[in-house]
Amino acid sequence: MTVLLEVVGLSGGYEPVQIFKDVDFAVEDGACAGLFGPNGHGKTTLLRTISGLIDPWSGSIVFDGIQLNTPGERRTRKSRNLNYDLLVRRRMDPKKVARAGLIHVAQGSPLFPELTVAETLSIAPAPARAGGRAVDPDLPFSLFPQLKERRHSKTRFLSGGERQMLAIACGMLAAPRLLILDEPTLGLSPKLRLELASAIHAIRQAGIPIILVDQDVGFLRDLVDTLHVFDHGSISRVLSKAEIPDHETLMADLFGGVH
Amino acid sequence: MDLQTLVSILESGAALGILYALMAFGLAIVWTTLGIFNFAHGAFIATGAYLAWQFGNAAGFGLGYWAGAILAVLAMFALGVVVQTLLVRPFERHRDIVLLTVITTLAGASIITNLLNVIWGPRMKQIEPALGGEVTVGLVHVRSQELVMVVVVAATLFAIGWFLLRTPLGRSMRAVAQNREAAQLMGLDVRLLYALTFGLAAAVAGLAGVFIGSIRFMSPTMGDDPLQKALVVVILGGVARFTSSIYAAFAVGIIEAFSTYFVGLYWTPAVLFGLMIAVLIIKPEGLFGRRQRSV
Repeated sequence: MTVLLEVVGLSGGYEPVQIFKDVDFAVEDGACAGLFGPNGHGKTTLLRTISGLIDPWSGSIVFDGIQLNTPGERRTRKSRNLNYDLLVRRRMDPKKVARAGLIHVAQGSPLFPELTVAETLSIAPAPARAGGRAVDPDLPFSLFPQLKERRHSKTRFLSGGERQMLAIACGMLAAPRLLILDEPTLGLSPKLRLELASAIHAIRQAGIPIILVDQDVGFLRDLVDTLHVFDHGSISRVLSKAEIPDHETLMADLFGGVH
Repeated sequence: MDLQTLVSILESGAALGILYALMAFGLAIVWTTLGIFNFAHGAFIATGAYLAWQFGNAAGFGLGYWAGAILAVLAMFALGVVVQTLLVRPFERHRDIVLLTVITTLAGASIITNLLNVIWGPRMKQIEPALGGEVTVGLVHVRSQELVMVVVVAATLFAIGWFLLRTPLGRSMRAVAQNREAAQLMGLDVRLLYALTFGLAAAVAGLAGVFIGSIRFMSPTMGDDPLQKALVVVILGGVARFTSSIYAAFAVGIIEAFSTYFVGLYWTPAVLFGLMIAVLIIKPEGLFGRRQRSV
């Protein structure tokens, strides 16, 4: 299989705080990669960097043969009073990333509160690139029948689960080459989690590669091909499907178990 | 106070209100979408008036009132895009963008006002009205030009409302205003939408200038006073919705008309600003607002 997304030596964060460092990460075409890690360790920041919302500090991101950024370059600037290192960053353009077919469904996004479901779907991105698969305009409703009843409700009146469904549906309308789902089940009831899990299964069946982030290994284990364990700002190990332990074992491994 | 006086106060208040609605719209849409306050809005109003005079007046290119107005509005759209590119876009990712653009748009206003002064001179001008004379409907006497203004402005506001609610481009503009990041992740061209929003605001300010220039007189600083009033309208109304600043504009227009009659012309700004401060203390999100910004 060919590598679809390749991240090499990526570092970044919110100036001046570095959040993640030297991340190497690859997703194969057609695969579903899980990203697991505790809260506040930088998963979301990493994904925001990949989709171009914030600029990487160094490293490279290649998606579907396109270099999304060029690494920052260090220069020394001399002035009379002090010499200092100047990091010249190459800016990323989120529009370019989205149009290349990398669709990022952000964590708990409020989307557009005053737009109705139908309006939001109407401005969803057009399928990536010429030659992209044609998308059935009814796809959102076949994936999430619930959205159909809420078609004319404003997004701010939707429940958290419905909003998440809407966000995923918008992403699917773009006929993504790679779908990033950042904690789609955050704060949802077990029933809704199950519903979302089956939708994600359906998306996988359609052959769309996914990066799936979650806090629950059990949830990830059923869906992913490989599990990347993210911890303290870098990927500490990559497990194949067979190697994925259950939630308690992995947590004990990471944080030290109760002996 | 007899009925005749009451009716004419209400009429002049409503005429002011519809003009304020037009001026406040531009400020409000730039604030909700780009998150900045455009101090060059008053200068846009003046520039629109002078361009319409130049295109339309016999002493300029002599194309007539309507051609002058349309060309001025189109030119103002282009000027808006240029101003946004030069004075706002460079600071887009800056953390102090609000403060920086206060300075840059003030600078822009000052440059534009002085250019108007250099090009057209400080002497008062007036755009020849499209229709002269007066119309009487029942108890109301209106200048025909004011009637023209009311009709055109109402049509413009409806057209803009339709554009924002029904067209994909208008919806995208609202989407960017409501959640910039989600819009970026959807691949919307945020830069382009920002430029178009600013251009739309400038074009609408230009239209307001055309009407002010044909009802009152024109001078390079003619936009300063409307800018203040538009600010009061935006704060009173809140920016939760496109329509909230329209209601507030009528409220301000009618309050101004009554205050001019009872309190006097010179104290009217004090009355309005006093009211604005009271609203800021009691209901900071505006009379018709919600605690979030969106269109």
